[in-house]
Amino acid sequence: MTEAAFPLLGAAFVVSIVLPASALLAKAALTLLERSELGGPLSGLTLRYVVLTASSATPLAWFFSAGLHQAESGQSALACLLDHDQAARCFEPGFFALMLAGGVGAAWLSAVRGSQRVRASSSPAALELAERLQGLLAGRAVLEGLRGRIVVTEDESFSIGTYGTLRPRVFVSTTFASSLTDAMLSSALAHEREHVRAFDTLRYLLLELSLAVNPFGRFLLERHATLWKAAREAHCDREAVLRGAAPLPLAQAILRAARPLSRCCAALGAGDAAILKLRVNLLLAFAERAPHRRPSEGRSAIPLALTLLVLSLLMPHRTGTEALDVLHTGAEHAFTYFWR
Amino acid sequence: MDVIWSRGLESFTVSEVLAVLEKRRDIAYTTVMTTVARLFDKGLLERERDGKRYRYSPKCTREQFLESTAREVLDGAVGGHQVLAMLAEKVSEASALELDELEALIQKRREELGE
Repeated sequence: MTEAAFPLLGAAFVVSIVLPASALLAKAALTLLERSELGGPLSGLTLRYVVLTASSATPLAWFFSAGLHQAESGQSALACLLDHDQAARCFEPGFFALMLAGGVGAAWLSAVRGSQRVRASSSPAALELAERLQGLLAGRAVLEGLRGRIVVTEDESFSIGTYGTLRPRVFVSTTFASSLTDAMLSSALAHEREHVRAFDTLRYLLLELSLAVNPFGRFLLERHATLWKAAREAHCDREAVLRGAAPLPLAQAILRAARPLSRCCAALGAGDAAILKLRVNLLLAFAERAPHRRPSEGRSAIPLALTLLVLSLLMPHRTGTEALDVLHTGAEHAFTYFWR
Repeated sequence: MDVIWSRGLESFTVSEVLAVLEKRRDIAYTTVMTTVARLFDKGLLERERDGKRYRYSPKCTREQFLESTAREVLDGAVGGHQVLAMLAEKVSEASALELDELEALIQKRREELGE
């Protein structure tokens, strides 16, 4: 028997059995939440985000932490079927934890690489737009908080969006801005301000990571993630209007941003007209009657998800790692059986 | 319902809706009455007797209605895999016509509101 048996088979078991099972449970929970009479798909953003991300993060964090804990304390020597020549420690759980960490790292890279890159520009047209944006920022309280956080780009395939995981900044393209009136542009900036304030770029990255790390993540949870993102965008529209953005110019800016540019469609991926229609219709409703504030929607999502992650990391140290022992022994028994 | 919501009609009769619609096109009283009765049957309106006629009122705002039907609207929606927060993702060429219709709707509403 080889020392690689448990790290490889154990990690394969977690990825191919535990994570899909967890995604299946998350799918059931999300379906119930989205069908809830109380909220429907536009509400319950915090809980739905936590379910989406925790379905991958919690089991991975538990197994990773349990593996490290056993490698450090040497408890795994009792469960290990291998002869370690009287050594007090067995390092396989540590390698198992490293395998899981490697998988998460690869998924992280794939999630980050999948995102579009936009470059800042300092051409005369860009400087002119920067000046126009400064004028808008100076005169509108709704845009407070965006000072020093707006970047101008000449990337024609891009319209407006927020980039940067830990220091989010709003990128605006010269082509897109030139097609908007000041009212439309400042409403669009007010929408992006909500993304900046709530660190949505970090949320979206963690969401993509949790889908990418699970082999059945996209298959089982992608639709729910899309609904969550649509609801989050609608929430940012609502917050922008509540902070003073004009709803109809914002609706027009959204439609201009969604206009297809034939050469870039494939690169950006086609968005969905159903989501756009819903957002525009909600903004039409906001123009008739001011929306109600929903302050808690999504704001506590990251702290809650991180708390769950920390708890999952701490749990093996407090409550034991028996599940990992079962996995360890099982993997080595399976290896011995098939190798024979 | 669009007429009721956009005009902010809290309580109305069939004749009042007819008066609004007649400004846009020729329409019969019975057509409006049938439509209003169907909206009542579907639970979108409530009514109370006012002499020989009914006075109707909407049971929900446009926002509440949109939220309650969001699941059906978004059923089958597909999104991109971007990790950045974009104002809106580009739609396909096939959906460009739908954007034109939405833009016309907004323009019409802006004119109605005198913006």
